[in-house]
Amino acid sequence: MKKILQRSCFSLCLFAFALGLSVAAHAQTAAATPAAAPSAVATSPADAELKDAAGKAPATADLAKGDPGGSLTGTINDVPAADSKAGVTLPDVANQVGQNKIAVNFVWTLVCGFLVMFMQAGFAMVESGLCRVKNANHTYMMNFFVYTCGLFAYWILGFAIQMGGAAGNSNLGGLQPLASEHTLSLFGKTWGLFGQSGYFLAGHTYDVGVMVIFLFEMVFMDTALTIVTGACAERWKFATFAVTSVIMGAITYPLFGNWAWGAGWLSQLGTNAGLGKGYCDFAGSGVVHAVGGLTALAVCLIVGPRIGKFNRDGSANPIIGHDISAVLIGCFILAFGWFGFNPGSTLGASANGNLRIGTIAVATMLAGCTGTLGAIIYMWALKGKPDASMSGNGLLAGLVAITAPSGFVSATNACIIGLIAGVLVCISCAFVENVLKVDDPVGAISVHGTNGLWGVLSVGLFADGTSNYGGSWNGVTGSVTGLFYGDASQLAAQLIGISTLIGFVFTLSFVINLVLEYFMGHRVSIETEVGGLDIPEMGQLGYPEFVFRPEPAMPSGD
Amino acid sequence: MAANKQQGSYFGLFLVGLTVLCAGFAYFDSATGKALLVLGALGVIGSLFGYMGIKSLEGMTAMKPGSGGMKLVGAAVALLGWLLTLAGIHITDSAGGRIVFALLGIAVSLVGILYILPAAFNKNALWKGESASQRTGMTAAKTTMEHSR
Repeated sequence: MKKILQRSCFSLCLFAFALGLSVAAHAQTAAATPAAAPSAVATSPADAELKDAAGKAPATADLAKGDPGGSLTGTINDVPAADSKAGVTLPDVANQVGQNKIAVNFVWTLVCGFLVMFMQAGFAMVESGLCRVKNANHTYMMNFFVYTCGLFAYWILGFAIQMGGAAGNSNLGGLQPLASEHTLSLFGKTWGLFGQSGYFLAGHTYDVGVMVIFLFEMVFMDTALTIVTGACAERWKFATFAVTSVIMGAITYPLFGNWAWGAGWLSQLGTNAGLGKGYCDFAGSGVVHAVGGLTALAVCLIVGPRIGKFNRDGSANPIIGHDISAVLIGCFILAFGWFGFNPGSTLGASANGNLRIGTIAVATMLAGCTGTLGAIIYMWALKGKPDASMSGNGLLAGLVAITAPSGFVSATNACIIGLIAGVLVCISCAFVENVLKVDDPVGAISVHGTNGLWGVLSVGLFADGTSNYGGSWNGVTGSVTGLFYGDASQLAAQLIGISTLIGFVFTLSFVINLVLEYFMGHRVSIETEVGGLDIPEMGQLGYPEFVFRPEPAMPSGD
Repeated sequence: MAANKQQGSYFGLFLVGLTVLCAGFAYFDSATGKALLVLGALGVIGSLFGYMGIKSLEGMTAMKPGSGGMKLVGAAVALLGWLLTLAGIHITDSAGGRIVFALLGIAVSLVGILYILPAAFNKNALWKGESASQRTGMTAAKTTMEHSR
């Protein structure tokens, strides 16, 4: 990476120098030779300078002695020449500069995608740690298998729906093979509904840029899928989980992903309806986390609470997880992976305002920090203990909330957003459990659903209008600016996005899973649930060498 | 009956059916594409009916049937809120007006999700009736972990 950056900088300097020389030379000679012959390009002063630079570059014999300081490696000799006899020319340098920009962005996006992929391990540890030991293998396996289910579904269908019409990203070379969006003309405007190219990554989508965006978007999609496994843990039938995960990866997630990120109608609210810069969700508080959290709520309602969770009077019993160390280590892994999630969503480190990646990374860190503080102080002050699992949830809540605004807000605003998220997750967990009577063993609905929606809303409030990614966002000139910085219309766009998440995405997930409940059933049998899902569903215990004893006083509504 | 061979087979059939279905989408313009679409749909539907065939063998779950009608009403109200928000985009051009419509839409959707649906699912919830342990007589089977010492 460092090497590529060095080469890129060198090439940019060289290109700028050569271009300056060329322009100056052209100005001096324009009057005398108004119609210069094409061959003049090959003999321009700039080319002469390039030849001179090539002559001064270290010789092979110098390089053979080694380059411990790194000052000899990476010179004009490393720029490929189209015509070896003519040597390196200005067009060669220009092409190399362009390729270096794309290479930097490819590497950045891929590495960030790898970080996001590693978040699956964090989710597995958090979710399993918060479940009882008798269900450890089942919970780990859901987190493991959801990666496969989601990836396969996204490859055959999901990617085409989400990104099939997303051509035009100059960071990744234009992505021109993805230029087929199914649209609907309504009220004199054209609105994108879903993409239509990229099935199986075959045909003209067998393209280097398409592969990069596929990998990056795929790991985001899998993050959304794995949110549901935590909320429905300890009573979800593995077969139904597998089928619904495939459907979510193929349809539910990609559809909203297209509307927000793939040239769909939400992203067009700016150009078509004059609402700010359209719906803005920088890294996916809405697209990833709210979609996952709301789907988790839909499935949780259908699958019902665990046996023993609620008493006859409706009061809730705490069911303690088996491994708080796994939970907290998992949270750290997730926080690490979030550095791929948010800064990676620039889809590049070179050009178009992408140097803001440092700001985005710092905003991410700070929101996680204040999210943890908010949750710990809330629990400590109100409940008497700095609860470990809620502290972890506070960290994740801050990270979830900053995901959408991370590209548009200052460090101070990131702190405020994270702090609110940390308190919000505690209140939301209590609400979901005590008012809705919904059993969410890991707090996924609150962490990802509630705070995902808060993150989307916070863009409409806190975006400060300083982030100028190439001069426009979603096709609207200018920077994303929220209500507190003077643009109420951006808040309107964000609220429309929230309404779509709550009203459409939730309903779609609910109906799909209601159909699966009819055909397959979501819940394991009572015998399986009481005895633990590991043996009946997975065939082996998560911790076979540990000794089990009868549970002394497990509340079960007696 | 927990996880079993039939479940695995039907999941395989579901994946194959879905893959063929998507191939049909990809090549929908051709006759082959349309044939694949039909074939894939049959595979997916066949797998779902296969699952339904073995559903009754999988034992009693800790759930009682809720109010089916209310569940659909809850979902419909949630969707209605979204449609109200969409209508607001067309009805008014002002940002303030659209914010009001969006907030109204969100409120309506939340009534469906946070009030109607939980009420529908909790109406006959197991925990409201006899205790799970009384129902199954399986308290002794509840286990937890103790580290080996």
